[in-house]
Amino acid sequence: MKGNIIKYARDNIDTDVIIPGQYLKVHDYAELATHAMEGLDPDFHSKVKEGDFILSGKNFGCGSSREHAPIALSHSGVKAILALSFARIFYRNSVDGAFLLPIEIDQDAYDGISEGDEIDIDVSKNEIKNITKNQTYKMKPFSEIIGKIIAAGGLFKYKPDQD
Amino acid sequence: MGKTLFEKIWESHIVVEKQNEPALIYIDRHLVHEVTSPQAFDGLRMNNRQVRRPDLTIATMDHNVPTSDRSLPILDQTSAIQIKTLENNCKDFGIKLFDINSPNQGIVHVIGPQLGITLPGSTIVCGDSHTSTHGAFGALALGIGTSEVEHVLASQTLWLEKPKTFEVRVEGKRNNPHAVTAKDIILSIIKNIGTAGGTGTVIEYRGEGITDLSMDQRMTICNMSIEGGARAGLIAPDQKTFDYLRNREYTPKNYESLVDSWKENLKSDSDAIFDKQFILNINDIAPQVSWGTNPGMTCDVDEPIPSPDEFSNGDVNQKKGAEKALEYMDLKSGTMIEDIAIDRVFIGSCTNARLEDLIEASKIVQGQKVASNVNAMVVPGSQMVKKQAEEMGLDKIFIDANFEWREAGCSMCLGMNPDILSPGERCASTSNRNFEGRQGNGGRTHLVSPVMAAAAAINGHFVDVRKLDLN
Repeated sequence: MKGNIIKYARDNIDTDVIIPGQYLKVHDYAELATHAMEGLDPDFHSKVKEGDFILSGKNFGCGSSREHAPIALSHSGVKAILALSFARIFYRNSVDGAFLLPIEIDQDAYDGISEGDEIDIDVSKNEIKNITKNQTYKMKPFSEIIGKIIAAGGLFKYKPDQD
Repeated sequence: MGKTLFEKIWESHIVVEKQNEPALIYIDRHLVHEVTSPQAFDGLRMNNRQVRRPDLTIATMDHNVPTSDRSLPILDQTSAIQIKTLENNCKDFGIKLFDINSPNQGIVHVIGPQLGITLPGSTIVCGDSHTSTHGAFGALALGIGTSEVEHVLASQTLWLEKPKTFEVRVEGKRNNPHAVTAKDIILSIIKNIGTAGGTGTVIEYRGEGITDLSMDQRMTICNMSIEGGARAGLIAPDQKTFDYLRNREYTPKNYESLVDSWKENLKSDSDAIFDKQFILNINDIAPQVSWGTNPGMTCDVDEPIPSPDEFSNGDVNQKKGAEKALEYMDLKSGTMIEDIAIDRVFIGSCTNARLEDLIEASKIVQGQKVASNVNAMVVPGSQMVKKQAEEMGLDKIFIDANFEWREAGCSMCLGMNPDILSPGERCASTSNRNFEGRQGNGGRTHLVSPVMAAAAAINGHFVDVRKLDLN
């Protein structure tokens, strides 16, 4: 999966800045997407392209449980978030609705990848290739549980293994 | 090896658990509100599914509701639609709803315990991160997203990864428990463990500093577990818990026999081992005031705002975060907290809008006036809290001091209804999140206890409430 990076070099990006509370009344996902990241980066909507990835620091998606957060990012075209760590509700929401992939990275990937870099994520090898800089980093593998929900295409498609 | 309280509740709710699979956990109570439920009900309809246990599902409207005169129509059309949608969904699926005119309406995490819906040893979920509040009663209470809300509506179960366990031991006794409150204890904990310190864990709060607290205060502690990154917070139930829940509207009929079994089972064994531990001694802790844009950016009321270097301990992102926070908050390192002037005061939210919070705040307000440049409001956590407060005459104390006295709801905690900060306004708030724009675009939030908020309202700036006579 290839895409370009939008980098927010900070920790604790919360769901209130991903989609401010005033928009939680919006039910049209396309309209919701126009307000994605508005609390932090009012230019986000004009710069994001289909297939982009967001790169950020620790505790991405902390705060409110609003599933509107991964929905707004996903409908903006974002396919994955690469972060040093995630808040758990955001992480599960991303996977449950098959909105986007939450990918945990190490410090070397965080430091090495810059705004605009073209990245190729290979989940089967747990590898992230930086095409722009010709570097390769490891991603933290999904737990077996999360991997199965992702492979199924979301929580409602997931069926436990049969005996 | 002994078991923790969390492990006991978890194990008693497993429907299916196989190695390397998520566990399917039975849910005893599902609380529903208007913001995170519409898509879930749409999903049920699309797939021709029913609500599996409407009798275990309870709804109210809190996030959107106006807190001003409720005899008037709701002006914000999108809010009106979301509220109407919940009414329709509850009617269609047979779910009990406490609507905007119900005497039981209120913030979902305030009404659950008040109505005796929250019970020790049970599993409780709600599409709201502050569901952790109910952990104060020894319930495993988890905030979930809308996909999971739909899953629980359809099946009364949830696929969950088993969290790790985290003991937060609070030792010692506060010198002045009216000035140094449960809010100050939980802000101190988050300041120390960090906003991601509890990630992937269920915190059990233990020790004398916790058992000393009333139920209202314990709810403040568990409420903000999520601000420390935890999945949930728990406090083992004791006599205070059992007494609180007796004779509530929805307390089960066989309550006394339930209490007997809770007394026996709902505690961590003495030889139980937690995955992680943090100890806080509260003998000398001060009232806390947040200065930044997450709840970990907090200091003592008698301290200056730290420099980004002091705050970050060498972590580059933490330093950058502190610099950005100071810029957003329009504050400088070295400024004494008591020198910060405020424009607004919000006493409300699922963190601090229960009866005891209002009683404590009223002691400071009595016979005083809100500073002339400050706009202050009290938003009770539920209509029941409001009624109880009015029976005690608290409304009069606040109104006489020029506070606004409102109807129950989430209000200015998250800025979904008309109660918002204007850009640049600075607010002393008893809520739980000081994120950028949380209380309104460009608004600046300082998290404090109800007594600290009340004292700031009267003085126009933060005041160390330990200097006041609060007894």
